[in-house]
Amino acid sequence: MKTIEFDQLDETLYYEKLDNGLDVYILPKKGFSKTFVTFTTKYGSIDRSFIPLGETEAITVPDGIAHFLEHKMFEKEDGDVFQKFGEKGASANAFTSFTRTAYLFSATDHLYESTKTLLDFVQQPYFTEQTVEKEKGIIGQEITMYDDQPDWRLYFGTIENMFHEHPVKIDIAGTIESIDDITADHLYTCYNTFYHPSNMLLFVIGAVEPEKMMDFIRADQADKTFEEPTPIQRIEVTEPTDVAVKSSTLEMDVLKPKVIVGIKAKETSLSGKAMLKHELSIQLALDVLFGRSSDFYTSVYEKGMIDESYSYDFSLEKGFGFALIGSDTNQTDELVEAIQNVLQNTQEKWPFGDDELERVKRRKIGFYLRALNSIEFIANQFTRYAFNDMNLFDAVPVIEELTIADVQQAFASLQGESQQTVFKILPVGNKAKTSNDKEGQE
Amino acid sequence: MFQTIQVAKGVNIHTRTTDQFKTVNFSVKFKRPLTVEDASERTVLTNVLQHSSAKYPSTAAMRMYLDDLYGTVLYFDTTKRGDEHTVLLNVETVNDQYLKNGEVLGKVLELMNTVLFEPNFDNGVFRENIVAREKEMVIERIQSVFDDKSRYAQQKLLNIMRPNHPASISANGTIEDVKKVTPTSLVKTYEEMLADDLIDIYVVGDIDEKTIVESLKKALPFADRTVEHATNPTVESKPTETFVSEQQDMKQGKLHIGYHTPVTFTHPDFPKMQIFNGVFGGYPHAKLFMNVREKESMAYYCSSSYSAQYGLVFVISGIDANKEKKAISLIDEQLVAIQKGDITDLELAQTKAMLTNQIKEALDSARGQIEIYDQYKDLPTEFSVENMAAKWQAVTKEDVVNMAKQVEKETVYFLRGKEDAAE
Repeated sequence: MKTIEFDQLDETLYYEKLDNGLDVYILPKKGFSKTFVTFTTKYGSIDRSFIPLGETEAITVPDGIAHFLEHKMFEKEDGDVFQKFGEKGASANAFTSFTRTAYLFSATDHLYESTKTLLDFVQQPYFTEQTVEKEKGIIGQEITMYDDQPDWRLYFGTIENMFHEHPVKIDIAGTIESIDDITADHLYTCYNTFYHPSNMLLFVIGAVEPEKMMDFIRADQADKTFEEPTPIQRIEVTEPTDVAVKSSTLEMDVLKPKVIVGIKAKETSLSGKAMLKHELSIQLALDVLFGRSSDFYTSVYEKGMIDESYSYDFSLEKGFGFALIGSDTNQTDELVEAIQNVLQNTQEKWPFGDDELERVKRRKIGFYLRALNSIEFIANQFTRYAFNDMNLFDAVPVIEELTIADVQQAFASLQGESQQTVFKILPVGNKAKTSNDKEGQE
Repeated sequence: MFQTIQVAKGVNIHTRTTDQFKTVNFSVKFKRPLTVEDASERTVLTNVLQHSSAKYPSTAAMRMYLDDLYGTVLYFDTTKRGDEHTVLLNVETVNDQYLKNGEVLGKVLELMNTVLFEPNFDNGVFRENIVAREKEMVIERIQSVFDDKSRYAQQKLLNIMRPNHPASISANGTIEDVKKVTPTSLVKTYEEMLADDLIDIYVVGDIDEKTIVESLKKALPFADRTVEHATNPTVESKPTETFVSEQQDMKQGKLHIGYHTPVTFTHPDFPKMQIFNGVFGGYPHAKLFMNVREKESMAYYCSSSYSAQYGLVFVISGIDANKEKKAISLIDEQLVAIQKGDITDLELAQTKAMLTNQIKEALDSARGQIEIYDQYKDLPTEFSVENMAAKWQAVTKEDVVNMAKQVEKETVYFLRGKEDAAE
């Protein structure tokens, strides 16, 4: 077991790669009574085309299968796994993102029993045609629930606009039609390909004795038999830099229109420290340009063009990335224009220097220090960083070192009118007719 | 858990020294009886104070300063509990020891003084244009409930079940009353808040208790006030209808059912009622989840919640519109099952374990510590996890049956989509 010290943060991280390839990280936090454990596979909604383990031909599986698999992991021959966690007072959950599927629990007691439950249920699949069929009703309702959420539709509509080929544009849960095609065999194929320990990471944080926990996990994994690790063969798609659809609109039963300007990332090939530096640089640039202390914000806030729903964000993974800026607004076109003006002006003449950068760097450092109080944040984010060969605890030192040149260079990869798209949600009956509008899904 | 010091009549400082967190958390709570008019006024007031003070007249000026203070978080909000309305100022700042340089804490205390005591006045009143703008922001916030169908359905249910009652009054007030706010009325609201409200000030972090109390006394110099809280006379409020259905352009039906229980937060049976709720629909092992979701595959979510302040229980579920009757009778069956004593030892043990875990977990965040202590401090017995856990442990199957028998269904609200929307 290795230890990694983060002196300035007063944290010690324990790490070991087990014989079966599983990465295990343990971070004790003093003063906490709960322990939070996440068990994550590097497998998400975008992994739809791949060569199944032990085969030679690539297949494409039905949309929404990673999420479906996540649901089905909880049902076993002897019942529902939630029951087992419940007996020990542990709260269990799981989520599927574009790139990851995570299983997790938090507990203040019976830590080892619940850790065992977690390891066992994720490593012992049990799927039958009957249980798969039953789940279709439940997930169908989950999809319908998201269909009625304007903010989700806005977010996904923008992503759909941006991408031509990349499967990030497919809704994580799939559609009612696509999940109808899912069979138990599909689930086993995906499970066998993506749930090998060498594709997974276990993170334990909070009230925990690192040596004892590592021994426990090591022994548990040594008792189980796994195939030799084989590299996973995902089928990559070629995605152009420009967006697929420049603008589209959806009508929903809302009172106030909503809009997002999406900017597709050009640089999506980085990993490790270079990726961390790039990602933080872009976030800092957005903070200066679109943050609540920016001239832009003051102007649109005072003109009533945005309200408290205003937000901006940048996401980056290997193969795709995007910045999103948006708000509920009664002045969708004016807001879009204001956002596009900032982007345009930034391209023509770089608008800020060291003072502004220094200020947002301070803010960002404060953000990370606050976030390090949350063991859920650490566990989730640490895993995301690790899957991209980055280290969460490098963020603060990397921010401290960033220069204006770094920020300028990184932001240049977002600059280009062809990388921008607009998605609007308008109240039913108010739909603005424009020639390039894509029809909504209803 | 907290050390309490009364610094003026009706003004208490509660401190908790811990090295658990990398930040210091403050919460200043201004409390007074809940009315629609006050809630509306006070919500506009919090927006105005948040976005403008004499020293930092614009949002940007304020934000820039907060950025300089390592992204110190400072925000106002309004909440309610029972028949009480609370304006809160929450502040979280980085503990100086984790920074390479910097004396942040002192500046943060000064800033708290600035935002509360140095408003951006023009001729003795709040600035017209800012008040107008922030009124609009609050109106937008209240309206946005319509776009979130679950929140909308819950608000509708409450309005039907308890009209003109603290249970259905939003801490943000109403659009109608927000519109009535003027710069002058806001000054009155502001002055009354500082002079008359009961005030609880919380600090959690790696702090020196004596020093922080002295600093807070200087930064927040509140005077004595009348300690007797003029409580509202208990408002009699009954459901106007037992079943209401509404249609909107959406796909999923939102089923919200409201029940009444005589057991409220201060009632000795409160812990028993918490166990009842856990068995009924509070957790993934509960009857509602296991039957409506897992067995019948009808819903993605189906759960219950217990609003102890008002003696209400809610069941919510998202279903196909044509499954409404089936869902309602299935939910009814779960309650009847508990009333008949169909409760396993396992269900009881799971619920007790979950409640205990939940409260321990909540105490792992500074905000959780503040909120739980603030809620429980007025109960006659001193709050501790051990006390609560012991009370839950003592609850028997018969107790839960007894609780279930007192739970009475009052109102069903169903927000349905278009008939063919889910096809």
